Amino acid sequence: MAVFQAALLNELEKLYKKKKVLVAILLSLAVIVIGQLVIVGVRSGFGLRGTGSVEFPMLVLSVVVNTILPLFTALVAIDSFSGEFTQNSMRITLTRPVSRFKIYTAKITAIVLFILGALLLLLVFSLLAGFIFNTNSATLDSLSRTVFSYFVSLLPLTVLALAIALLANIFKSGIAVFFVSILTFLALKVLGVLFSQYSSLFLTTQLDWYNLFLVNSFPMLKILRQFLIMLGSGIMLFTAGFYIFDKKEF
Amino acid sequence: MKFKKKSVMLVSFTVGTLLLATTALADIASKSGYDELKGAIKLTTEQASEKFDSFTLDYSMALKDNGKTLESSNETLKVDRTKDASENISSGLSANGDKRSSQSYSDKTTMIRVSESDPTYYVTEFTKERKDEAFNNPFKEEEAADIEKIVDAVVGSLKDHVVVTENPDGSKAITGSLTEVQIPSLVNAVASFQLKQEFNNQNNNQNNSKMPRLTKDVFVKEVKGSAKVNADGVMESILGTAVLSGKDEQGTVHEISLEALVKVMDINTTTVTKPDLTGKKVVKDIARYGDAEMSNPEKFVGKFKNDIIIEKDNKFIKVGERFVDITQIDGKSVTGRYYSEFKPEFEEYAASLSDFKFEAKFEQDQKTSANFEGTNDSGDKVRGHIYLSEYEGQVNFNIDNFNGSFGSGLMFNSSFSPVLD
Amino acid sequence: MEKVIEIMNLTKSYGNGRGIYDLNLDIYKGDIFGFLGPNGAGKTTAMKIMTGLIRPEQGDVRILGHSVTEEYEKAMAKVGCLIEIAESYHYLSAFDNLRQLARYYPGVDHKRIDEVLELTGMLKFKHEKSKKFSLGMKQRLGLAAAVLSRPQVVILDEPLNGLDVEGMIDIRKMIQHLAEKEQTTFFISSHLIHDVELTCNRIGVIYNGKILNVENTQTILKNYATLENYFVSEVERNGRVSSSAS
Repeated sequence: MAVFQAALLNELEKLYKKKKVLVAILLSLAVIVIGQLVIVGVRSGFGLRGTGSVEFPMLVLSVVVNTILPLFTALVAIDSFSGEFTQNSMRITLTRPVSRFKIYTAKITAIVLFILGALLLLLVFSLLAGFIFNTNSATLDSLSRTVFSYFVSLLPLTVLALAIALLANIFKSGIAVFFVSILTFLALKVLGVLFSQYSSLFLTTQLDWYNLFLVNSFPMLKILRQFLIMLGSGIMLFTAGFYIFDKKEF
Repeated sequence: MKFKKKSVMLVSFTVGTLLLATTALADIASKSGYDELKGAIKLTTEQASEKFDSFTLDYSMALKDNGKTLESSNETLKVDRTKDASENISSGLSANGDKRSSQSYSDKTTMIRVSESDPTYYVTEFTKERKDEAFNNPFKEEEAADIEKIVDAVVGSLKDHVVVTENPDGSKAITGSLTEVQIPSLVNAVASFQLKQEFNNQNNNQNNSKMPRLTKDVFVKEVKGSAKVNADGVMESILGTAVLSGKDEQGTVHEISLEALVKVMDINTTTVTKPDLTGKKVVKDIARYGDAEMSNPEKFVGKFKNDIIIEKDNKFIKVGERFVDITQIDGKSVTGRYYSEFKPEFEEYAASLSDFKFEAKFEQDQKTSANFEGTNDSGDKVRGHIYLSEYEGQVNFNIDNFNGSFGSGLMFNSSFSPVLD
Repeated sequence: MEKVIEIMNLTKSYGNGRGIYDLNLDIYKGDIFGFLGPNGAGKTTAMKIMTGLIRPEQGDVRILGHSVTEEYEKAMAKVGCLIEIAESYHYLSAFDNLRQLARYYPGVDHKRIDEVLELTGMLKFKHEKSKKFSLGMKQRLGLAAAVLSRPQVVILDEPLNGLDVEGMIDIRKMIQHLAEKEQTTFFISSHLIHDVELTCNRIGVIYNGKILNVENTQTILKNYATLENYFVSEVERNGRVSSSAS
């Protein structure tokens, strides 16, 4: 466990030192600022309310969960694998007394923690912006649902991270991984529209699964099914990714 | 050790695959509340257009401002499919306080309309039996499947807000509700903008309207719906409510709610009765129904004319007439002659219009319109289109590339009226 | 004598016919083992397998009694290594690079990091990012990383690459110092014969993926004028054997 902690700490330090965190913070803040400006514009221009204080974080989530969060996830995952493969710096860690399983897991965990951090940051700032600039519409229920929505979004993003990690282990070039990821992402989006009856199987639809937690009746079965689908694909992607990572020669 | 690691990986991959596959199958197989709702609506319309002998459809709508009714309407449609007859009673209250109520009846051969403001019965009798269904299934239309896909995609994740509860007697209640935080912000913004424009436009048109003018903080507050489906899967009623909130110029908050209720009742027990016209003021009218087939095309044999005029000394002056003389007509073709006559003092214009004979075959499914071809005095081919209008008792006669008239200052149109005296 | 590294029947072949075939080698405690061979003889392949970067097709390597392929963490716990080019995270300072590694070893603190930086003459660049380093500086940093954990076994692949004469002398001193003081066992590959002669006390020659001979440096120098003569004669003898066999 101590070894895993060390590996995880190292991965986090690398993320932090590479200014990734700073870029993420700036981009997240930019999204919130732009979003708030749009809302203010809509309100004064069209006479609409735009969003209330709690709807603003939901608006932000609905936008970022399909845009910058997958993008961050892809960039960080590709950097963590492809980046270190091509610079051969993977050897630095590999020749230490730490198993490849722990390295792989630590890398994935670091990416997940990074996404969690981004989500928390977006939540806090969008809540702040929501309360400062928008008409108050908060109830305890809607507030807790909002917070919950942010947290559950971590799961599909984790599956996404695992998928990209697998791709990064298959393809040599980080750019190839990036484009394959984007094309797959767009293709799934389109397929989700064309075959809406199967769309719950697509990762791109699962990114929006936080909506299930907003439903008054709390569709437990549906949530469970979605959870299991994500869990199943997560396990598959993790195993496949690790298998390739473990076989790799450096 | 080596073996163990490999088998652990194999097991974990298999577990993942099985988990994914089984849940995925279960998920595809499971019907969401939204699917059930769609199914019920489809089944109900299908049954109504194909299976039920008779039924009553009751539709009512109310628009309220902070609980005060602004506008309401109620419509009852009774359909008897065995007789292809239907009866429609509608009443309502408009935003400026006017009440209205009207009634109509229609079967294969007659259509009767009467309204409260004008107690005259307008009766239309059809020369031929109509083949219209009393009630058409909208899901059988060509575009229905595509529209359904688009709707599915738009509804997207909101599908899961539809909840079904089953009652012990086999009937089901389908409910759904969306409050502010659950409505995607973009949808909310677009919808509230649309509604705001709609309301405010209506306001501009009707100055004495009671409708509040919303200018600020407009948003969709709530959307609710509930439906009852009986044990046979037929939807008995569906109720929808939407609440729009906003402020007017004085800053007063208005909550405008729209409620709509549709009920299907008296399946197979509805009777449609033809209104008793004895002792009522009746205006009769005979409709030459059915563009597609003319029962007596020979009525078009004869001369049809229209006027040729020019502008002179700030007046319109008639300079002559154009004629279409139909000599022969049947279900398949029409032949005749086109020519013009000018008053003696305007003979100089005659050269700009031509004379020719034409023969035209009716289009396959359109027995009143045809493209013709003819040869004029100077031997040139002339093409054009003829349309026989049964309703207006007129002939529309268009000649292609016929623009000589405008240069010469002659004015006329393409409708020819029969020369009757 | 205690066996520190056991290489048993190690085989790994590449598509182009290169690789190592049925390699057997034992390294004992206190050895400064010189792994001598021309380019492409299989030195790096063997060392990569020893440090777990690639997996053998057959055979195994045991370090301090633990199999590299099966108990990697235990096998590597007391090993320091430097394979091919000394890699470092170029966006981290020398100190941060070493601190990353230090986390894997319980007994290594910041003082130890300073110690190894001092030992390799890198202390004055402690807070500079490694992307600004020259090849020699990177190599020194790599050596610092290899000995950071006070390892009992140090595996070095061409440790003197990119070093100037002064650097070579420094490193040679360091190796001898560690071997004497801390009884550290070294496994060093090099194509610089003269240097191996000066540094190592046992020498193995690898040619075409096979070990030709393992001998003490003293014994060799008794029979041959220089190590170079020994190496050439070993290779030639082998070349004759293989050509007569074919």
